Amino acid sequence: MSHALAPRRNSVAVVTGLANRRSPFALIGALLLHAALIGATLFTFAHTLDITDVSPPVVPVDLVTIADKTNIAPTVQRQMKYHEQEITQPAPSPMQVQTPVVPQEQQAEAAPDTAPSEPVVKPVPAPPQPQLKPQTQVKPDQPKKKADDQFAALLNKLTSQQNAPANARVADRTVRGVGAMNAMTMDIQDALRNQIAQCWSPPVGAPDPQDLVVDFDLFLNPDGSVARPPQLLASSGNAASNPYSRAAAEAARRAIYECAPYKLPADKYSVWREIDPFHFDPRQMMGQ
Amino acid sequence: MRKFALAFAAIATLFIGCAMPASAQLRVDVTQGNVKPLPIAIPGFNGDPAGAQIAGVVRADLQRSGLFNALDPKSFVDQIKDINVPPNFSDWRTINAQALVTGQAVAQPDGRLRVDFRLWDVFGESQMLGQQYFTTPENWRRVAHIISDAIYQRITGEKGYFDTRIVFISESGPAINRKKRLAIMDEDGANPQFLTNGGYLVLTPRFNPTAQMIAYLSYAGNKPRVYLFDLETGRQEVLGNFPNMTFSPRFSPDGNKLAMTLESGGNSDIYVMDLRSRSMSRLTSDPAIDTSPSFSPDGTHIAFESDRGGSQQIYVMNSDGSNQHRISFGDGRNGTPVWSPRGDLLAFTNQSGSNFHVGVMNPDGSGARIITDGWEDEGPTWAPNGRLLMFTRTERGGRGSQIWSVDITGRNEQRVTTPGSASDPAWSPLIQ
Repeated sequence: MSHALAPRRNSVAVVTGLANRRSPFALIGALLLHAALIGATLFTFAHTLDITDVSPPVVPVDLVTIADKTNIAPTVQRQMKYHEQEITQPAPSPMQVQTPVVPQEQQAEAAPDTAPSEPVVKPVPAPPQPQLKPQTQVKPDQPKKKADDQFAALLNKLTSQQNAPANARVADRTVRGVGAMNAMTMDIQDALRNQIAQCWSPPVGAPDPQDLVVDFDLFLNPDGSVARPPQLLASSGNAASNPYSRAAAEAARRAIYECAPYKLPADKYSVWREIDPFHFDPRQMMGQ
Repeated sequence: MRKFALAFAAIATLFIGCAMPASAQLRVDVTQGNVKPLPIAIPGFNGDPAGAQIAGVVRADLQRSGLFNALDPKSFVDQIKDINVPPNFSDWRTINAQALVTGQAVAQPDGRLRVDFRLWDVFGESQMLGQQYFTTPENWRRVAHIISDAIYQRITGEKGYFDTRIVFISESGPAINRKKRLAIMDEDGANPQFLTNGGYLVLTPRFNPTAQMIAYLSYAGNKPRVYLFDLETGRQEVLGNFPNMTFSPRFSPDGNKLAMTLESGGNSDIYVMDLRSRSMSRLTSDPAIDTSPSFSPDGTHIAFESDRGGSQQIYVMNSDGSNQHRISFGDGRNGTPVWSPRGDLLAFTNQSGSNFHVGVMNPDGSGARIITDGWEDEGPTWAPNGRLLMFTRTERGGRGSQIWSVDITGRNEQRVTTPGSASDPAWSPLIQ
């Protein structure tokens, strides 16, 4: 042990000696390194701190008062009764003859009437492609690109990443690597698609499938778990006012969580770390 | 100085590496999913003993819809002690619940019952809905249905249908002397009651838009005619005094008119009666049989069935009788069209060979598809949200008819609980 400790003490002395001679740079460097370490630690703990808020938040409640009696016919305030002649017959089955008193309710949050009044006898025109509307959560520094450009953009990014090191073999990449990268990317896309398909249960009974297309972003940890809450980037309907669109967005978000952790090749983490957009379109499932 | 710059660059790289690791954005398009019920946990509501019963009815309602999987309370690991603080979400994720309903029922000093509930998103760890109701204690079942409707609407985006009633024909006795009585019950089969005594045949009951009146065909006095039944007073009334048979009634969406078929000299045509003036307007005058009228929800069109083309098919006309045209061209015969309350579909009965099936089609006749697979399924009626249908199913072998329900996607066929055999269901609007 003493042999092991002795050189260590010596090395400290040497470093100290060096510090005496080159003090400004080494000291500043050490301070900056410490600051960097502390900064990185805080950065890592930030998410944990966010979710350990133990103080119970105030949860709102809507007050809905139900009257003692039902107003079955809104124009007539009377209690329901059934014809006595008809109900005095003994029932052979376990049915009961009663005079019910039914409450009146008023849904405080009456949803907007979503029953559409469509032209009924005219041929339905070919369904238009839904136009995705950016949601408020869209980050201004990440403008959405056209779908056609997505894949090319992805390839550009991957290629430029590989080009960054000074000794990168640019020629090999450009000649042979794009095809391999393309196949690898498609494999990861397929893997994600296959996994999320088991979890995604969109509201397929909605009247207008055009309103149900949503885009999320998804950041994943290296173990395939969800790194941070997925954000709704765009919706073909209006998730804020259309209850079907909101249900579609929530169904996609639930699927993202339910399917985690995702089983993806660990050595390709840089490819699947950020899914953007995670595009959910249920129209095929609804025969559209 | 150069070394300082190098050190700074290294540190800066370290910072950037921590904050924004270099990576690509991957686009993933998902077009196929797996339609399955949403796992939802509904522990018994705290407080008054009625709370446990309310939670039980909510659980049964949502489970019956086919869109939810109400988890077994025995699997719950967390006890809800106070519904006013967020629950321990990780405990609910452990049992794979994706939604959670907490609630309480509290008896008030004035004798009423206060029922609060909250709907939680377990993954998102947030409240999706919170409401409070006051009612008389005997109305706990109705409150449960209202809560079920609120949860259903919040999660699926469409209005619920649990706080509704079904009027139907209850059948009893041997086949050669079957007694048919008008009956009514809650959507979940609770509180069944007879409205007529079975002394005469009754058929095809239909609710008006306020669920207050029922129009139906009665053979009282051996004369088949359309009657109105006032649920509030129990009063029955013949609609008009016609020499021949009237049948197949259906209210207009505003409840002020009633379309029905009037038979005269072997020819059946569709008429509309103004219920305030009792005046009749003839809409069809074809020598063929025109019957089963059904208004579109906006009242501008009427779908009906006619054999004017040689076989029974579905036609649509304007509500004044103009522009009559055929819309069904599929296999077999098609009849009993019923317009969806949300206007996007017509339900109908298809007869192919000796089999009867219920199907749906677009209002222009396109997109027809069969959604039931029984031997004899017929007479569809819409849930008020336009998402489900009930219909009469008769099994081969003649053991009486039953009422079944099915989702418009063809999923979730379920038998509706009725006392004995039953047929001709009519689904009420949401109770007001």
